[in-house]
Amino acid sequence: MTNAPGHFSAAALHEMVARHAGAAPVPERFKIIEDTSDFFKVEFGDVVVLGEQAFWMRGYTKEGRFGLDDEPKYWVRRAIDLADGSAKILKLVFHEQFEAQVGELSFTCFRSPKKEARILDLVAGHPNFMHGRWAEDTAGNVVRILEFIPGRRFDDILGELTKDHEEYFHHHFPGVLAQYIELVEAIKFLHDRGEKHGDIRRDHILFDRDRQVNRWIDFDYNYQHRESMFGLDLQGLGNILIYIVGHGDILVGDLHKNRRKIFDTLWGEDLSLAFKNRVANLQKVFPYIPDSLNRILLYFSRGTEMFYDSADQLLEDLAVARADLSAPTGSGSAT
Amino acid sequence: MSTETCRNKLRHLLVAVDESENSQRTVAYLIELFGGLADACITLLTIIPEPLEDFFPTVAEGEAWLKEREALMRTTLADYQQRLRDSGFQEAQVDTRIIVRACNSIANAILEEREKLGCRIVVVGRRGVSRNEEFIFGSTSSKILHEAKGCAVLVVE
Repeated sequence: MTNAPGHFSAAALHEMVARHAGAAPVPERFKIIEDTSDFFKVEFGDVVVLGEQAFWMRGYTKEGRFGLDDEPKYWVRRAIDLADGSAKILKLVFHEQFEAQVGELSFTCFRSPKKEARILDLVAGHPNFMHGRWAEDTAGNVVRILEFIPGRRFDDILGELTKDHEEYFHHHFPGVLAQYIELVEAIKFLHDRGEKHGDIRRDHILFDRDRQVNRWIDFDYNYQHRESMFGLDLQGLGNILIYIVGHGDILVGDLHKNRRKIFDTLWGEDLSLAFKNRVANLQKVFPYIPDSLNRILLYFSRGTEMFYDSADQLLEDLAVARADLSAPTGSGSAT
Repeated sequence: MSTETCRNKLRHLLVAVDESENSQRTVAYLIELFGGLADACITLLTIIPEPLEDFFPTVAEGEAWLKEREALMRTTLADYQQRLRDSGFQEAQVDTRIIVRACNSIANAILEEREKLGCRIVVVGRRGVSRNEEFIFGSTSSKILHEAKGCAVLVVE
């Protein structure tokens, strides 16, 4: 144990760690860190002190994107809040800029800790978002202190439902659609307050098993938007809708291999605007999809001449589609 | 006469430009269409949106970027201004304006300037974007076409 920072004595921190360590061994020595600028120096077992708060650092989290399931996110760390022993996720500041790719389009994205902190304040108490608080370290880094969400990815749960699409569509989809609409309403909540999520993907939705609700996570992505502030969010919502209607990605290659007759009916305009290997006009694959729902999907296809400008417009169309779904069959058990 | 006091507002053009090729085309088109017209006034306008929070790791880097961008646009606008003068416009007929501001929509910022100046014609270039790009980023010229009120809109392809 080294140096004792302002608010806590080293002995007090050691005592707090011992109190909340549970079955984990209590280290005799650990670093006490108040400046997290070099997050690689924040190691397992160290204590991070942010003003009057202290956290005992545990392991890394992992990035589940693009198949990089084992890629550690060194700036996102599990921690024990030494005030009450609760599990937290500490997101340290990582100034990253990178080229994001949506279809053939690439643009500069960056991580914005301040944006995420702002949104955490905004969504405190909103059931469909992750919650947390933030604090500055001694170097002015905005560290986000996130509450741990017990649960699994929304799309993983979806994947465990029946494999038969027609059965899925009639028995499970109405419930899934209701959950999706709730998630779109949550995004509208952000947009109405002048904020974008910035990275809407299906793996950024966790189903909280304690609260039985879906929650958006990870709001730190940002990009210098141009004319349409919410276009990327809306397209992300469209991609998720295509996924839940199709009960997975309906890939052109799979249709070519396994369902040639359907493949032969497809045109370029039937494909997703964002991902040209995915079908958006799903009525061609699953003819029982009602027109009102399929029309929404077509707004996210390469054939579209019009785009959604706002989550409001999307919600209006979803309400019609939902009514049409329940009218003829009356089915609709939630997942 | 200066463009601020341009008497014939019907012929006061607000021309939104940057350093892009379509802006160059727009200026060339203006010269062809209005070159030498004695009672026309032109305000060349550039909107520079302030970078979003955290886009630059430090405030100083953000300020340096803005400074550089302003300098580039001053040179660009001076060049356009000179081209217009060379085509027969008098000095007082053409002025320039650079607005640096936090900005969710460049189109709205252009239309706000139009309102302030009372111009009756807005001129913008169009870049030509893919559908995907238009969905994600929108289009300034399309938004101006849809939202402009009390003026004519000229979109130069």
